[in-house]
Amino acid sequence: MSRPWLKEALKRTLYPDSVAVIGASRSPRKIGFQVVYNLIKDGFRGRIYPVNPNAEEIMGLKAYPSITSIPDEVDVAVIAIPAEKVRRALKGSIEKGVSGVVVITSGFAEVGRAEEERELVRMADEAGIALLGPNVVGILNTDHNMNLSFCPSLPYRGRITMVTQSGALAIGLVGWTWANRIGLSKMVSIGNMAQIGFEEMLEYLEDDEDTETILLYMESLKDGRRFVEIAREVSKKKPIVAIKSGRSQRGAKAAMSHTGSLAGDVKLYDVAFRASGVIPAYGLEDGFDKALALHLQPPMRGPNLVVVTNGGGAGVLASDFAEEYGLPLRDMPQDLEKEVRRAISPFGSPKNPIDLTGNAYKEDYIEVLDKVLSHPWVDGVVAIYVHAAITDPYEIADGIVSIVRRHPGKPVIMSMIGGREVSIANTWLRDNGIPVYPSPRRAVAAASALYRYGEFLERVGM
Amino acid sequence: MSDPINSIISKALSEGRKALLEHEALELARAAEIPTPRYLFTPLGSRPEPDFPPPYVLKIVSPDIIHKSDVGGVRLNIGGDELEREVGELVETVKRNAPNAEITGVLVMEMAEEGVETLVGLTRDPQFGPVVAFGLGGIFVEIYRDVSFRLAPIPIEEAREMIREVKAYKILSGYRGRPPADIDALADVIVKVSQLGDKYPEIMEMDINPLIAYPRGALAVDVRVILGE
Repeated sequence: MSRPWLKEALKRTLYPDSVAVIGASRSPRKIGFQVVYNLIKDGFRGRIYPVNPNAEEIMGLKAYPSITSIPDEVDVAVIAIPAEKVRRALKGSIEKGVSGVVVITSGFAEVGRAEEERELVRMADEAGIALLGPNVVGILNTDHNMNLSFCPSLPYRGRITMVTQSGALAIGLVGWTWANRIGLSKMVSIGNMAQIGFEEMLEYLEDDEDTETILLYMESLKDGRRFVEIAREVSKKKPIVAIKSGRSQRGAKAAMSHTGSLAGDVKLYDVAFRASGVIPAYGLEDGFDKALALHLQPPMRGPNLVVVTNGGGAGVLASDFAEEYGLPLRDMPQDLEKEVRRAISPFGSPKNPIDLTGNAYKEDYIEVLDKVLSHPWVDGVVAIYVHAAITDPYEIADGIVSIVRRHPGKPVIMSMIGGREVSIANTWLRDNGIPVYPSPRRAVAAASALYRYGEFLERVGM
Repeated sequence: MSDPINSIISKALSEGRKALLEHEALELARAAEIPTPRYLFTPLGSRPEPDFPPPYVLKIVSPDIIHKSDVGGVRLNIGGDELEREVGELVETVKRNAPNAEITGVLVMEMAEEGVETLVGLTRDPQFGPVVAFGLGGIFVEIYRDVSFRLAPIPIEEAREMIREVKAYKILSGYRGRPPADIDALADVIVKVSQLGDKYPEIMEMDINPLIAYPRGALAVDVRVILGE
């Protein structure tokens, strides 16, 4: 269904100046309390209007008996009251002239009350407003200091937007973003996707100035074909990573042909993702790893990956995983190999994966990476540092940062293997735009995402 | 001018059939410019008079029989002199083995030369619509499930990529001194099947199995088409 007004309504919903919380409460155990509390605590700068017919004021804010009695414009209404009262709250919100509603309340299609849910969508569509949910955690927008949800805090600030079908994951992942310093612009929980699903979110995010990379946690789609069409366009501008859980739902229809039965056991989602440039991720960690790499580094414009390491074992692991992830290491051209040979220790190996050996210093990394990144054959680099007794990881990281700056067109991904000693180095790398991972496997998986994205851009002529 | 593919589809649907008969499926393939061996449909009771030379393959044509060889409904390597007798015997055998099946006639087909057997198929996913599969015949598909998929319609470069993507690709690219198979001919069939899926929503599923690949060209030897409303 086409809703040309929705993008604008959604924008207002994600960046409101005033919010009404229907079901605001003084009891800390109620979600209606949490939402008001979080808005205040996390510094929302717009106006907050608690709606509760049994309260005069909530957390120092004047409470209103109904949304229509608020003497101001309201951009967004949060609805956190029992399911049977939601329709009336929506009606009031529409009367008030809101741009969007966030229906936190659960107990709709997910428990078989699909007709009631459809009725909400009919009402919202008729009024031309955005409807998020039902059954959502809410919206977290770091670029608007807005925690319009019952997540305990805003995520770490950045330029990745995550859209999740699971609300519980949204709550858990907020903490994760802080622990792993993965910056989000927004986290949007889309719950039952009655009106706003992945398709609508992508249409909005395509032009959202605060979003540079998109991460999806997906269990199902409303309309697979439409998703592919929209994602294909959005992917041309911003990388999309999708963590897909569950398998293609082929329905109960028994396949009559051979092809039908074959299709039943492959992951058609991966086929669809490939068609639309969406990078598939396998699990949460992989999803964030890939989103981060795509966010920080340019796409890899060809299959020629070079691994540079100071430890042979880590290099072999990297080659193994490179093959597994569809990016097998190839022999470098003779001239490059010769140049590398001249630059490294006689005990090292100038062949891909290049082994600098354990006594490689900052200067050695710089010299070899400079040669590798300068060579037109090379499309991308995974640099590995295994903490060695005689070298300082911070020094190495600093060297990597300086050399990557000199070659901005080609992606470099780092793996730092070690304990506490490498953590400052990791921060330095990350703060300077270099994705860094604690294992060669994760670094190579991230590189494969850059390759897949580059390949997609190539395919669509970009 | 009426579209021959539409006529085949609507004829079957109007007769309440969900699967096209052998010769109708071949006709549909030909109309879509998918190469097939020469063939002749001989209605029950009439004399088989193919205008192409033997050896022939005979196949029973019946809306009620799916697994033809299980009821003795397939005969291979038939010469010109034996044709009429063999057709008669084939019908008798099937009547004995499947007494309740309605028999429409017999398909007489030019026997295809040996080549690499591949499969190209179409199915419809409730989420993603028409999807095309490619794989190598026999154990590669049956046991290893070595198949590549794309959403239809498929541009020719993607079709080539699909072929290269299967693990058994080596067999097509010239294995143990055999000449390489005509990848472009296979890719062309993939593209055409994908266009059928895109253009004709009534085609629910389609199997070309085998699509035999040769050093030059490819032939759709067995075509099955399942329709829906």
